[in-house]
Amino acid sequence: MHQCTLHSFNVTRSRAWIICLISVVLSLACFNVPAWAHKVTIFAWVEGDIVHTQSKFSGGKRAQDSTVVVYDKEGNQLLEGKTNENGEFSFKVPKKTELKVVLKASMGHLAEWTIPAEEITAAGDITQTIGPEAGTQAPAQEVAPPVDAKASGEAPERSTIGLSREEIKGLIDDSLDRKLAPITNMLADSQDHGPTVSEVIGGIGYIFGLVGVGLYFRNRQRQEAQGRS
Amino acid sequence: MHISEGVLSPGVLIAGAGLTAAGVAIGLRKLDNEEIPAMGILSAAFFVASLVHVPAGPASVHLVLNGLLGLILGWKAFPAILVALGLQALLFQFGGLTSLGVNTLNMALPAVGCYYLFGWAVRPGVKVPVFTVAAFACGAFAVLISGVMVGFSLYLTGEAFLPAAKLVVAAHVPVMLIEGGLTLACALFLRRVKPELLEGQYAPMHSS
Repeated sequence: MHQCTLHSFNVTRSRAWIICLISVVLSLACFNVPAWAHKVTIFAWVEGDIVHTQSKFSGGKRAQDSTVVVYDKEGNQLLEGKTNENGEFSFKVPKKTELKVVLKASMGHLAEWTIPAEEITAAGDITQTIGPEAGTQAPAQEVAPPVDAKASGEAPERSTIGLSREEIKGLIDDSLDRKLAPITNMLADSQDHGPTVSEVIGGIGYIFGLVGVGLYFRNRQRQEAQGRS
Repeated sequence: MHISEGVLSPGVLIAGAGLTAAGVAIGLRKLDNEEIPAMGILSAAFFVASLVHVPAGPASVHLVLNGLLGLILGWKAFPAILVALGLQALLFQFGGLTSLGVNTLNMALPAVGCYYLFGWAVRPGVKVPVFTVAAFACGAFAVLISGVMVGFSLYLTGEAFLPAAKLVVAAHVPVMLIEGGLTLACALFLRRVKPELLEGQYAPMHSS
């Protein structure tokens, strides 16, 4: 009943109002591109037998002093810890199965990351698979104690003869960990992708589309009612 | 402010969803054709507001704008917030689909509450000082009550209430001030440009 009157008495004003609000919404969407909010993420990777985790809010702020809980595949809690001021928490692999790392940040934020069993066993198995092989080769090389050769005084002679498999493996692992560190960090950072502009615009589009659908059905009801009367 | 999936117990989730459904039903029953566009625009504003980041406190907080929605929409804030939160959950992974009911309740109920508490004073006819204070308080208190409700939801799931609520409220103090200012600015703007929007709510029930 009052649609027509309301519309006619103030068409230009309400149009200006709507355009104003739309532009406010869109400008909010645009100027804030780098500062996204409100989600936590956790990223975990294995180095040797240590699991490192990094947690942050999606604004890029590190989740400090948040609880990290580690579960095994069956959901048994294995250990619990707190993140430091950089949002990092590291722990020794407690069990060689799939591990689920759950971050419980304040105010009901929760995130989880699963480390597949292969990743952990790959790191843990080094000593197991190398062990026997090194043992079979040991007689040929006469001595191959598992202790670090550099620690003992024999290092100079032995380095020319050759390093044991275990030592080579250790050196390669160390070097790989060092070289891959920037890449793991990059991966950790890339876990944190905030909403993109297209998602934001898409969401606004959805809402306006719903408005259209709502108006369409309301209008149809009204027209049908008018047609009947 | 958004509670993630898997934090709350099923009971809390179901209760939240039920209450939200009731709120949405009330909102839709009061909905009038005239108000659909305004509702859509405010819903879009709410949707985008959570991307505006306030770097304060130990966690990350963002604008909520529920006070503004409550002020203009009253009960209709429920459907508007539900739509916006649903899209945030789907597109941004803020909150989650299972916690959608609780999250909507936590943000929409304070909006409606502030509408009843302060709405009477945010009318074109009211004197400017009273109008100013009420509009500011509406924006600020909506966020505060939301924070307390988030704390309460966590408490129902077994977290200690006081630390959780204190943390949420403390983190939102800067947001409260900003929201109060923003709601005030919007209300003053509407008072000048489109006073019907502030008036419409307080007219006797619309014939729907």
